[in-house]
Amino acid sequence: MTETRRDVPREEWLAAARAALAEGHAFLDLLTAVDLDAEGFEVLLRLWDPVRRTGVLLATRCPRDDARVPSVVPALAGAAWHERATAEMFGIAFEGHETAPLLLPEGFGAHPLRKDFALAARAAKRWPGRKEPGESEGDLPATRRRRLSPPGVPEGWDTP
Amino acid sequence: MSGYDDAVEALQAAQGEPPSSSRGIIALHEGNCTSCMLCARECPDWCIEIDSHKETLPPETERGRPRVVHVLDRFAIDYGLCMWCGICIEVCPFDALFWSPSWEHAAPDASGLVHERFDLRQWLADAPLAPGNEGT
Repeated sequence: MTETRRDVPREEWLAAARAALAEGHAFLDLLTAVDLDAEGFEVLLRLWDPVRRTGVLLATRCPRDDARVPSVVPALAGAAWHERATAEMFGIAFEGHETAPLLLPEGFGAHPLRKDFALAARAAKRWPGRKEPGESEGDLPATRRRRLSPPGVPEGWDTP
Repeated sequence: MSGYDDAVEALQAAQGEPPSSSRGIIALHEGNCTSCMLCARECPDWCIEIDSHKETLPPETERGRPRVVHVLDRFAIDYGLCMWCGICIEVCPFDALFWSPSWEHAAPDASGLVHERFDLRQWLADAPLAPGNEGT
């Protein structure tokens, strides 16, 4: 089982998808995005050749303030739902594809998979790890020592 | 008999009990827990709550010094949040947490999915790697 990664500029995104399809990578495995913070967004498309058992991972990037990539739907109709989900979760526009909302309630007004989207659960619940060994819930306001902050949570999220 | 029970029975008839190595639920061996907080801090779901207090033990020898130990007051796992990743078990330096293959843990409401230390202790019985069970 082999897997090749191809990083392409976004102008070549659709052409790269067409090329991978033409090679026999006809099975759509995944289309999604990654929020790279200051480096913008990475859009990923994984295609699989079920006959030769090889995979291709296509990747392209777009800046945060210009979050759009060409749609691959003209080459791969099955990617439409994935693009709709990615568009609403990351706020990325897929050019040439009117991405209707797919999962979020109407008027949600935010992109929950962006790193700057604060999770309500993280704001509402206090991090259990802020206690030191030998401490209980009731001891917390009394001790003024600098506390650990939860890994992977941006500054200021564990406010309470 | 409900459809759920029928489904469980059919599954057991078809596949038998899950293998003893499967990730059913997490068991706690309180005697090994030092309240070090590592599992609670590493848990990506924040589903482990630990409360503990300090106690000072008198010196064990004539010239020894008093020793401060942490005593566990509360250890709870919220299985409504847990995603069975097992990171807590892997980071525990004292072998206090173990996988148990028990899997029938549905609860009528979310509070029933918070397992306190006394609930967590009982899963040790069939946890294959727990003290006393090795090799069974």
